[in-house]
Amino acid sequence: MSQWLNQVIDRASSRMASGDDWLNPVRSNALHQLQTQAWPGRRTEAWRYTSLHPVEALAGRAANESVNVSIDSDSFAVPGLDSVDILFVNGELRTELAQLDVPAGVHISLLSAPGDAARTVVGQVFTQVKPERHLFGLVNDVMATEGLIVDVDAGVKVTRAIRVINLVTDGTESHNRVLVRVGDEAEVTVIEHGAGSAASMNTAFAEYQLGTKAKLEHYRFALHGGDAIHIGGSHFKMGESSNLNSTLVGYGSQLSRLDVDIEHAAEHAYAKFNNIYLLAENEHFDLHSTIEHAMPNGTTEENARGIVGDNAKAVFNGRIHIHRDAQKTLAELNNRNLLLSRRGQINTKPELEIYADDVQCAHGATVAEIDDEALYYMLTRGISRSKALVMLNFGFIQELVEQMPNEALRNWLQPQLRERFVNMEVK
Amino acid sequence: MIHIKDLRASIEGKEILKGLNLDIKPGEVHAIMGPNGAGKSTLGYVLSGRDGYEVEGGSVEFKGQDLLDMEVEDRAQAGLFLAFQYPVEIPGVSNMEFMKESVNAIRLARGEEALSATDFLKKAKAACQQVDLPLAFLKRGVNEGFSGGEKKRNEIMQMILLEPSLCILDESDSGLDVDALQVVANGVNSQRDGKRSFIVVTHYQRLLDYIEPDYVHILADGKIVKSGDASLAKEVEKTGYAWLGAKAEEADA
Repeated sequence: MSQWLNQVIDRASSRMASGDDWLNPVRSNALHQLQTQAWPGRRTEAWRYTSLHPVEALAGRAANESVNVSIDSDSFAVPGLDSVDILFVNGELRTELAQLDVPAGVHISLLSAPGDAARTVVGQVFTQVKPERHLFGLVNDVMATEGLIVDVDAGVKVTRAIRVINLVTDGTESHNRVLVRVGDEAEVTVIEHGAGSAASMNTAFAEYQLGTKAKLEHYRFALHGGDAIHIGGSHFKMGESSNLNSTLVGYGSQLSRLDVDIEHAAEHAYAKFNNIYLLAENEHFDLHSTIEHAMPNGTTEENARGIVGDNAKAVFNGRIHIHRDAQKTLAELNNRNLLLSRRGQINTKPELEIYADDVQCAHGATVAEIDDEALYYMLTRGISRSKALVMLNFGFIQELVEQMPNEALRNWLQPQLRERFVNMEVK
Repeated sequence: MIHIKDLRASIEGKEILKGLNLDIKPGEVHAIMGPNGAGKSTLGYVLSGRDGYEVEGGSVEFKGQDLLDMEVEDRAQAGLFLAFQYPVEIPGVSNMEFMKESVNAIRLARGEEALSATDFLKKAKAACQQVDLPLAFLKRGVNEGFSGGEKKRNEIMQMILLEPSLCILDESDSGLDVDALQVVANGVNSQRDGKRSFIVVTHYQRLLDYIEPDYVHILADGKIVKSGDASLAKEVEKTGYAWLGAKAEEADA
């Protein structure tokens, strides 16, 4: 047990004892789990390549108050994006929800003050999608006093994206929560946009419940860096014939860990999950994805591509679990990495666990260096070495960027990724 | 244009070029023929500056500069172009983006302004049409999934766009049917303007029916063993390379 976690438990216990938080019954279950779970060490498989020392070192330190922190709205502006933006700074809501132009059939409310309908959503989604094994998910269960609830009515096709922006500033500790219910045959785009490189600790968990034939376009941008500690997850429960198209882009930081779970809880669901991570300097990024095929006729396509330069360290663990009844499952998992430096590190582990006998599955992982022949070819065309390397790097992930359905997001992301490559030196 | 003097080069300790001499003036087309393993491709790689090709001796002066002392990209910017025998596939980098970057790098090096996106597109479309490549190829990854013939035409397309001073064509005819061969040859001939020079490396005389050389050299065992005019190529076609002796027939480089 770490001192930091003890403090979390103490703070949560005293708050729950004194307050009248309507979620206390659910939170106390999470609290109980936290009290009994062991603090992960290097021997804990799920944390084998990710040290929690940066979190342990937070123990005893008082977090800064985030009152009156000024925020540069250009830092998260996406030109041309048609979206409803909800901004949280250090876990505190900065957007006047009543002022938002919310599309018809979409209901946005807060965890701290939900209406009756939202309470129903919370009852169905909060801690109902995210598996209990995620330690920091439990921390978030007890600590996230505020959160966003998005409810999309059945049959509604929403063209404007819903974007939740989570910013963190220096010396703060914060916890963000997002709960989304996509009604039967509804269609919506949700963007989780996290940023901030200052020394800080943030957990951000989101749970998504997809109804029958519901369609969710999902993005998670974890554009952190520096001394930020960012631990979170996006978790999805797929309804019958539902469709998920998710893209996750991570930059890494002192400690970045994301868990993605996709549960095929009904038949004929389709899930596409693309993941891009670009790490430089001393950054660390750890993605664990778990796809549970519990029912027959589900499809999953997962593609992860990472580029690791300097002293950076990437961890990828992709697990596909096909239960005995999940016949006719189609599942593919592929992880490709480009290692730009001898001091960089990539730990990749694709796992397939299959208990059904009539399925089509494939998985693979590669780690490669820059293709010398391609580099030489570009040099013979007069392109400078540094420019050629940027183009080759970008080419490696471009395919996944191009698969992002939203054009404004693509146009916003591409120059940023290029800029990041320019700063990555190949050794 | 280029003066190659007593050039000796090796790869992994094995000497491939063993004292090669060649002088090319502006506007001239020189064909280099020879058996497999003679060092034909090595010449292109050494002149372009490929890693792993060690220059052991000799000198190369290109437009008054010491070519062997220059970086690969600087050679290209100075006007040297190598059309690859096996063009490289670069998935994820579009042909368009690749060529725009390349054209502008070379234009800037020549003291010209970078082309605007519209002007570049105009030129690229024209070059595509000239080598009979569908415009859709500009959007595809560089050489990605191209057939052998399409790759060769893509090389010529690049040559047209880059307007180099010296073009080295490394077996640009290999693997082509007669129609594709003609397209490649027409592309090359369209660039003959009395100033631009060419080194046409080929195993067969066939290409030289379409691109008429001013000089033909036979390269064997790392040296030029015979030089002549276009008629030398016809002679080779009749007699093969057997007269060079058994040694040069070793196809191992």
